[in-house]
Amino acid sequence: MLRLLVRKLLRMAASLLGVTLIVFLLMRAIPGNPWANYATTPRFTLGVASDTGFQRELVRRYGLDLPAWRQFTRYVFGDVDDNGVLFCGAVCGNLGPSIQRRGPSVQQILFEAPEDRTVLESRFGYTLRMVLFGALFAIGLGVPLGALSATRPRSALSRVISVGLAGLVSVPNFILGLIAILVLGVWLRVTTVVPDWGKPGNWIAPVIVLAAVPMASIARVTHAALVNILSEDYVRTARAKGLSRDKVMMRHVFRPALAPIITFLGPLSMEMLAGSLIVEGLYGFPGFGRSFFTAVLELDYPMILGLTVVYASGILIINLLVEVACELIDPRLRAGRPQRAQQ
Amino acid sequence: MSLFPWRRAARSGRVWFGLAVILVLFLVAALTPWISPHDPYASSFTQSRLPPAWVQGGPEPGMAEFPLGTDRAGRDILSRLIHGTRTAVVLALTAVSLAALIGALMGLVAGYMGGAADTWLTFLFDTLQSLPGIMFMVMIVLIFRDGLAPTWVNGVLTLVVGFAAVGWVSLARLVRVSTQQIKVRPFVEAAVSLGGSPWHILSRHLLPNVSHVIVVWVINTIPAVILLEALLGYVGIGVTRAVDGDEFGIVSWGGLIFSGRSSLSFNPLMVIGPSVGILLMTMSFVLLADSLGEGQRQGVEI
Repeated sequence: MLRLLVRKLLRMAASLLGVTLIVFLLMRAIPGNPWANYATTPRFTLGVASDTGFQRELVRRYGLDLPAWRQFTRYVFGDVDDNGVLFCGAVCGNLGPSIQRRGPSVQQILFEAPEDRTVLESRFGYTLRMVLFGALFAIGLGVPLGALSATRPRSALSRVISVGLAGLVSVPNFILGLIAILVLGVWLRVTTVVPDWGKPGNWIAPVIVLAAVPMASIARVTHAALVNILSEDYVRTARAKGLSRDKVMMRHVFRPALAPIITFLGPLSMEMLAGSLIVEGLYGFPGFGRSFFTAVLELDYPMILGLTVVYASGILIINLLVEVACELIDPRLRAGRPQRAQQ
Repeated sequence: MSLFPWRRAARSGRVWFGLAVILVLFLVAALTPWISPHDPYASSFTQSRLPPAWVQGGPEPGMAEFPLGTDRAGRDILSRLIHGTRTAVVLALTAVSLAALIGALMGLVAGYMGGAADTWLTFLFDTLQSLPGIMFMVMIVLIFRDGLAPTWVNGVLTLVVGFAAVGWVSLARLVRVSTQQIKVRPFVEAAVSLGGSPWHILSRHLLPNVSHVIVVWVINTIPAVILLEALLGYVGIGVTRAVDGDEFGIVSWGGLIFSGRSSLSFNPLMVIGPSVGILLMTMSFVLLADSLGEGQRQGVEI
């Protein structure tokens, strides 16, 4: 068991390195450089170097004149700086200096909270809390809804739920967000333009907008998992030998249904992280959801790589936890057997 | 193809609704040049920001020539909506087919070969899925965008490549698992002992047996592509190019919403139109996938 866990951790680290390499190669293939691209420079001055000596100094300072492989190892493992001192790279948690936010390093931008506040008030903390609340909402509402429609077939309620869910998964969250702003902000006037994020009430609208589509997805997954198990022969046997409905549900249905539902937590968190881009943009939320996209547009190389490391480690850790949880629930998975296909 | 519950599907109202909507949208996409009243790119600053034709009371009465009004560059919204439909349909069909091709091949190889190939391919799947796909897509779109001329074909091509590069992984995983389950069955063993080449076994014995997984995935993924395109368009890096807050280049639903956001107060149709299009198209495919894939079978009473 321990050996298996160590192997999984090693694979995780390898995946992290792999995705960093892929993102590194992709971002270097984007035309332009941090000081001349269409997001940072007016279009008509594109390609017109303002001061070549100055720019060369900037390029040298951020190590962009090194060969590509050395830039990569410099970022990941570390290198010698101008004074001949060895510094450690991303493996030590040093995510590098941000090029566009001259001054602070990437880890400061992401994890440092304002004076005398906890890490919960940092950009990372805000997004983490938002995604966490969203996940709680999605699971807390989605699982019961899915269970309700699976166990009450051919009822009006189940029909309404299933069509409603099919509709909800089809709405992009930016449209939901626009509707929410229109209704809450413009018509009812309950939200303000620049909300105070210290008040829990202001979190409701963004969290629901972020979690609505994942909620529908998880309800559909729950429904499918339960229907699969409810039509198994052993459920009928359990019922036939006289076990009460509730007992069958608890013992024989929900337990095996847990594995596919938990497995879905991986894609769920992915969906929420991608959704935080839109929702945070719509509500002016002080998280880091938009940072990746602005960083890509501005070609802030260390920022892109730093966010890649943060996102990928988060998702890989969630997937690892999901895998371990599934193995704890279902002993058949422990032997390294293939998992059942999930939609 | 007996794996599909055709009969039950044919009796379901949802399936017919989905098929009807898809048929209409495909017709709109196919007939775009003939039914679109104006050139979607033709701008005219004398006729900008016109309200819809039925709004007559305002300072600027709507014109029958522009049924849904014009945007701030004076381009006909109805035409842009129709051309956006074509973009969405073409994009969905090509991007998903390409991704399905790569995904099915990778999944079959990983599932059938096993051993080191399987280990490495699974590692690749894990690696590619450790970031939300849209992040890779943004970078791929940016790489191609500056080099290519801003024509409709190039824009669609960029998105197709971007989506196919990340979209295939989820199918590959599904196909891999199904292949593993099928390759231990006696008929595959028989084919191997008769001396069938790996290619023969993959294409003749395994592919037909995982085809239902692929079809269901394709129908499930088409809405995802449409939503992704809309999302990219909304952020301003999709098929459209964002320059100074306005877009030029290729019309798409997401781009329409992107540019219509700022004119929400004077002509909300620029946002409502594409939103309804996205909702209808996605929902039809979701309903269709439900009925074919048995993912959303009716519940069971115990």
